[in-house]
Amino acid sequence: MTSTYKVKLAFVSLCICCYGISYAQEPAKIQEEKELEVVNFKSIKKVLEQDGLSESAMKKKEAVKVLKKEQAAVDDKKYFYPSEEDLLNFVSEYWLVKNAQLLKWDFAKPDYGLDKSYRTMLEKLGFYQKKFKILLIDSPQIVRAALPGESGEIIYVLSVPFIRSVDMTKLEISLFLLEDFFRHESGYFKKAVVTEKMTKLAGTNFHGAKVDQTMMEEILNKYDQQINKKGYTFQQQFEVTKKMDSYLKSSPELWNSYFQLLGKLDRFLKTNQQYKDYVKLYPSPEMQVKWMSPEEKVL
Amino acid sequence: MHWIFILLMSLAHAETPSTDEKVVGLFYFKPMFGHVHQSSELKSASLTTIQCSFPVKVIESSKVSVGPEWSYVQVADHKGFILKSYLSEKRPECFQGKYPKFFDSLNLDLSELYYWGRLYDQYVQGETRVR
Repeated sequence: MTSTYKVKLAFVSLCICCYGISYAQEPAKIQEEKELEVVNFKSIKKVLEQDGLSESAMKKKEAVKVLKKEQAAVDDKKYFYPSEEDLLNFVSEYWLVKNAQLLKWDFAKPDYGLDKSYRTMLEKLGFYQKKFKILLIDSPQIVRAALPGESGEIIYVLSVPFIRSVDMTKLEISLFLLEDFFRHESGYFKKAVVTEKMTKLAGTNFHGAKVDQTMMEEILNKYDQQINKKGYTFQQQFEVTKKMDSYLKSSPELWNSYFQLLGKLDRFLKTNQQYKDYVKLYPSPEMQVKWMSPEEKVL
Repeated sequence: MHWIFILLMSLAHAETPSTDEKVVGLFYFKPMFGHVHQSSELKSASLTTIQCSFPVKVIESSKVSVGPEWSYVQVADHKGFILKSYLSEKRPECFQGKYPKFFDSLNLDLSELYYWGRLYDQYVQGETRVR
């Protein structure tokens, strides 16, 4: 009996001891952990579902996803190269700004009334809704140019020293600009300045890459080349002159003025060394007179 | 009695130079770049250079006479003149806004911004009528 009691006592002591050891080994839970146990989402999932809170959380998650996607699209939109048309309009003005000192367009000049006279001529010939900008320059370096502007607009560059030296009238200046108008409409300038790289990159996205600066350098260089060195071919000049001929025939007064202007230019350029390069760029008033002259019939 | 007080208050207010100027509306600048001019002449000095889409307060003042083609404006702390044809009631679509990263990559310097603004002062602009 006594031995049975001793065995029981030893067993109970052992159990108490083991429990004590195991309890001492378990780390004490911090308050946050206890709270987390209380807010065990798994345990209250059913309650959340019943309240529709889970669905609302999902919707919020989706909305954030959509917003993030939209934000990414907005960011992406910032990284586009301009379209070909936007780029050419931009480059035209950029070229004028870059060459401001050379072209000397920032000078005080009288109002020649060219906007009115040129507009009247265009309308007389049936050209409506045509926008134009004329930039008069105080330099003989460049005589003329017609650059692509915004939405089909043309930016005419015209040398005041040249028109003064030739002693051109307002009507003659307008006819001079009309030649440039036809040149521009034929797309000769655009064809000459558009580069392969520009065609490849225009309108594309460069997100994650650097802007290819060589594209702008190449186009600006092409502008320089076309305006200062390359100019127009005989064929292109022939086509422009023939266009002038056919459009002005309906108005003999304008046709005669243009014919006289070509003669005036021819005489002036043959005697003036300062503008000797003009005929290389715009060949040539002498030929233009011949192309405009009525064919002599051999009897 | 109350209305007499309001009238006197408004009269007293009208005599002060600040209230002589009235904001006519908020407009936006249209060209790529441009200048706020010291006087209503294109060759007049530039007070500041602004770019396309910049908000401009058009103001009226009995002390400032403005030609029919010009608007008297306030841009930040500057009060000057801008051609009416260069202002729009709606925010215009600008190259800078359409292609911001490409535009930033050009790193235009101050002199180029100035000249770009002057370019719009020097243009002789026209448009043939609609048929």
